[in-house]
Amino acid sequence: MSFINNSKKNKIALVDCNSFYVSCERLFNPKIINKPVVVLSNNDGCVISRSTEAKKIGIKMGEPYFKVKELVKKNSVHIFSSNYALYGDLSRRVMKTLKSFTDKIEIYSIDEAFIDLSHIEDKEIENYGKEIKERILKWTGIPTSVGIANTKTLSKVANHIAKENKTGVIYIKEDVDEKLKNFHISDIWGVGKQLSKLYIKNGIDTAYKLKNISNSWVKKSTNVLGAKTVMELRGTSCIDLITHETKRKSCCVSRSFGKKVESLNKLKESITTHCLNAAEKIRNDNQVTKSITVSIRTSPFDKNRNYYSNTITIDLPMATSNSIELIKNAIIGLKKIYRYGYFYQKAGVTLSKLQDMELNELNLLTPLMENKSKTLMRAIDFTNAKYGRNSISIAQAGINNSWKMKREHFSKIDTASFSHLPTIIAR
Amino acid sequence: MKLTIPFYLHKVGAGFPSPATDYIEDDIDLNTHLITNAPATFIIRVQGKSMVNVGIYDGDLLIVDKSITPKNFSTVVANVNEELVVKTLVKEKGISYITSGSSNISEKINLIENPEIIIWGVVTYVIHKQQ
Repeated sequence: MSFINNSKKNKIALVDCNSFYVSCERLFNPKIINKPVVVLSNNDGCVISRSTEAKKIGIKMGEPYFKVKELVKKNSVHIFSSNYALYGDLSRRVMKTLKSFTDKIEIYSIDEAFIDLSHIEDKEIENYGKEIKERILKWTGIPTSVGIANTKTLSKVANHIAKENKTGVIYIKEDVDEKLKNFHISDIWGVGKQLSKLYIKNGIDTAYKLKNISNSWVKKSTNVLGAKTVMELRGTSCIDLITHETKRKSCCVSRSFGKKVESLNKLKESITTHCLNAAEKIRNDNQVTKSITVSIRTSPFDKNRNYYSNTITIDLPMATSNSIELIKNAIIGLKKIYRYGYFYQKAGVTLSKLQDMELNELNLLTPLMENKSKTLMRAIDFTNAKYGRNSISIAQAGINNSWKMKREHFSKIDTASFSHLPTIIAR
Repeated sequence: MKLTIPFYLHKVGAGFPSPATDYIEDDIDLNTHLITNAPATFIIRVQGKSMVNVGIYDGDLLIVDKSITPKNFSTVVANVNEELVVKTLVKEKGISYITSGSSNISEKINLIENPEIIIWGVVTYVIHKQQ
């Protein structure tokens, strides 16, 4: 293994939305601006986004909701169930705004993107970062922080620092060492739990120490990715921006139940709903699947009941994205792994071996039936896009889903759906 | 967010071909005409009657662009007393005010004296259902 030696000086910015889900909830609800706000994960399980005010009160990231209920009550914290339709639309808007600056952008997650700013002069670059931040705020209402550096790994470090900085924008260059000395090893991009344990065991507990470790030690003790991280901390760019969108290879939809489920019929409803969602997702990307996996399990933390977990994979005779076909196979699979007498907590469906529809159409054996079903599926997707999710469903998915997700604090706004538009007052 | 209206349809029949066949057949895409900056444009429903004088009725849909700067007499969405409301922006001698409709100028709010009021966006179109 050898180190990649790349002498060109890139300038990369990491643009990261501040408390993204909270900021989305605040956009149409000014009452919660400057107040403590928290967004919960699916099923109102854990804290997944906190406003600055909520952080100050001591609410921790990832904490189960029941554990912070007291703090919430005492400090009148505003609670929201996650509204991914809204967050998804606002995320698309933020990314589109970024694209008004440059096409060299890698969307890294729902609320962050790397962009290439190598073409901007050093002395201009912080002002350019401010312009980016201001435009995103003006156009979408979402506050961001911009961290700029010579490598992706350092831009992540810069972003951490920018978040604490008043202007929210920072460019780190030669002056990076002082900052790396105060940067904990586990906060470095690409250093996971296992790797940080190894580093800490060897006395490497800051980014600065990792940067100055000997090449031979890194080669001996870590893998290629570990070596790349070290090089990137030294300012040599070796992780390129991935600007083209890669299509997914598998698609998983799974949910925990609002309350535990015992009957096969209720499980069937949930598996059917998951199939519908997963099938719609892959149809959107013009993909078909060759394989479907069904999984169910009880809670591993429930000490009073027996634990059961099982998975079954069914290879399909012909690649498809037809919901009805997928549901039929998933239910066959579910019946094989279902055991009576357990209280199930989670069920999921994974479509794998995904391939492009176009490639698949070359198959002469594809019967005419497939084309007919394609028209039906297109009609279903169109109707659901126009009149809201689940306007057309399949009877097996059930109508009153008692197993459905708990969303007691749902804001119900969807800026991309005609039936759930935000409302304002003319008074 | 996609809304199209067919504006020309031609069915092939027997007889002399329509003289219009050579002209482009396409749908009018309202998005391209009513929305100039998509990432900054939101569709918002109105509740209430205070803006009837300027042609905004209860239940109307507003196309709101957050990216543009309001002019004199722009209809705007503003954050007033922790609430998003629709108002008219009026400029007089270099000072900006917001008012409800155009006739109640006397109830105007001075934006310099009330710096906490923020203009959220500018209304570019109003969609009103006639029937």
